[in-house]
Amino acid sequence: MSLKLIHSPIKALVWKVEVEAGQPIEEYDPLIILESMKTEIPVDSSLSGIVREVLVKEGDSVEENQPLVSIEAAL
Amino acid sequence: MSWEKEVEELNRLKAMTAAMGGEAALERRRSSGRLNVRERIEKLVDADSFREVGALTGRPEFDEGGRVSNLAPGNLIFGRAKIDSRPVCVAGDDYSVVGSAGGATVPGKFAMCEKMANELRIPLVRLLESTGGNSRSLEQLGRTYIPQMEGWETVIENMGTIPVVALGLGPVAGIGAAKMVFSHYAVMVRERSHMFMAGPPLVARLGEVVTKEELGGAELQARAGGVDEVVDTEEEAFACAKRFLSYLPSSVYELAERTVPQDDPHRKDEWLIKAVPQERRRVYDMRRIIKSVFDSGSFMEMTQRYGASVITGLARLDGWPVAVMASDPYRYGGAWTAESNAKVERFVDFANTFHLPVVNLVDVPGFLIGRDAEMAGTIRSGARALSSVFQAKVPWCTVLVRKVFGVAGASHANHARYHYRFSWPSGDWGSIPVEGGVASAYRDEIAQAEDPDAMLSLIEARLNQVRSPFRAAMAFDCEDIIDPRETRPLLCEFANNVAKLREPGPVATALRP
Repeated sequence: MSLKLIHSPIKALVWKVEVEAGQPIEEYDPLIILESMKTEIPVDSSLSGIVREVLVKEGDSVEENQPLVSIEAAL
Repeated sequence: MSWEKEVEELNRLKAMTAAMGGEAALERRRSSGRLNVRERIEKLVDADSFREVGALTGRPEFDEGGRVSNLAPGNLIFGRAKIDSRPVCVAGDDYSVVGSAGGATVPGKFAMCEKMANELRIPLVRLLESTGGNSRSLEQLGRTYIPQMEGWETVIENMGTIPVVALGLGPVAGIGAAKMVFSHYAVMVRERSHMFMAGPPLVARLGEVVTKEELGGAELQARAGGVDEVVDTEEEAFACAKRFLSYLPSSVYELAERTVPQDDPHRKDEWLIKAVPQERRRVYDMRRIIKSVFDSGSFMEMTQRYGASVITGLARLDGWPVAVMASDPYRYGGAWTAESNAKVERFVDFANTFHLPVVNLVDVPGFLIGRDAEMAGTIRSGARALSSVFQAKVPWCTVLVRKVFGVAGASHANHARYHYRFSWPSGDWGSIPVEGGVASAYRDEIAQAEDPDAMLSLIEARLNQVRSPFRAAMAFDCEDIIDPRETRPLLCEFANNVAKLREPGPVATALRP
């Protein structure tokens, strides 16, 4: 099993969490929507697999490179 | 009488310097998968075009009869060559010669190489791999020395005279790192090249224990704005250098050449009509728009990892080379950060230096705001970016794709010039965006309404009508609103219109690194 962390590309607020733990996802599925400068910045999955853990909640402020979601890669 | 004997001796000596640091050192490079400096030059330039300067330089040893028994070459090889049939100057560090460290330096060679490129007005490509200063050389010298930047007056002048490309192909430390950033385009090879002011052993003395990858890896330097591109192989680095030079004149005394157009200047990509989402908060792919409106396959992005809310690069319009600036809404909604500001300043000065017309695709909600942004000195770096835009004399065309707010938004062009400017119907501008402002500005009206939510929506709808770019266009605040699909034909017309306005010669505001 390989776990991959999806990181925040920028310092921003977590506006929406689009997934929950245990949920299967495909590559390019939106995981989190960040908000910065009145713009929604979707953070998409870079791989297919299962969401293992969502590490942030709506309203959180996150730093650049902060892990947002961990994903267990599909075999 | 003939000079046959002397020519034979000349060839014997040249063979000695051509052997570089010796077979053992070269074999070590081969087995680690690294090219040697002469292989690098051969792969970079047109076949058989390299003409070495100073091929005899080195440290001679003599036998009892006074004949040269060995000639240890210096650690810099340079000469004239051609890339894509155009003359260039190439300089390569020879790492096989005692790690290319300062001790094997032949005085005057580096400075003369920079001067040759400067006076012949030809681009310079530096192939860099060196460890910088070496304490051993002090013992050989028998004294210390006051550091000074020999030849640097030309290095600095070259930034405003000829295109300079620096390729980091191995470690580049100290003065090597300085040679990297004194360039218009610097490339590092991932995992092979490390760039730092001082390496891990020296840094460890400050109590910071890091690997060379952690200290000065290619990704780190690209994110820090130290270099413009990261590639996986030396061959890719050479390809980047060639491509970069293909957009530029040989010096500021010439103009970049048009290539035979490969794409229809009247091409109108249908999807551009829906490229920008109706919902203002939604992001979209600016790079796809760039690829659509410039000549197909012509966009070469530079400095992608640094100041990422601004996209910069080179492209062609109907064959004419142009400089491209655009916003990336995925990064802070396109807001200008302190890093973006520095990137804009350097890029606009670069475009102006080489007389490349600028096309600016704008979606700027302002400078990045907040305490961190204030601490980063965003307003001062922003002021420098604005200055570079206003001081640029090159033709300039703006396409307002979406947001234009605040001082950063206003920096999209020099407003004192003719506004060669178009807006898409998605244009949205002002000093402060409407969102968020309505609830406070109309607090009483909303509170007293029977249905406050409906009232809020009503007021927002009213304001959004005022917000229509058509109203600004009716007041001639915006000169022209266009169907997004017409963008490419209009930009091609721009490039053809302004080609004759480009003026060769040095500019007053040549860039600093």
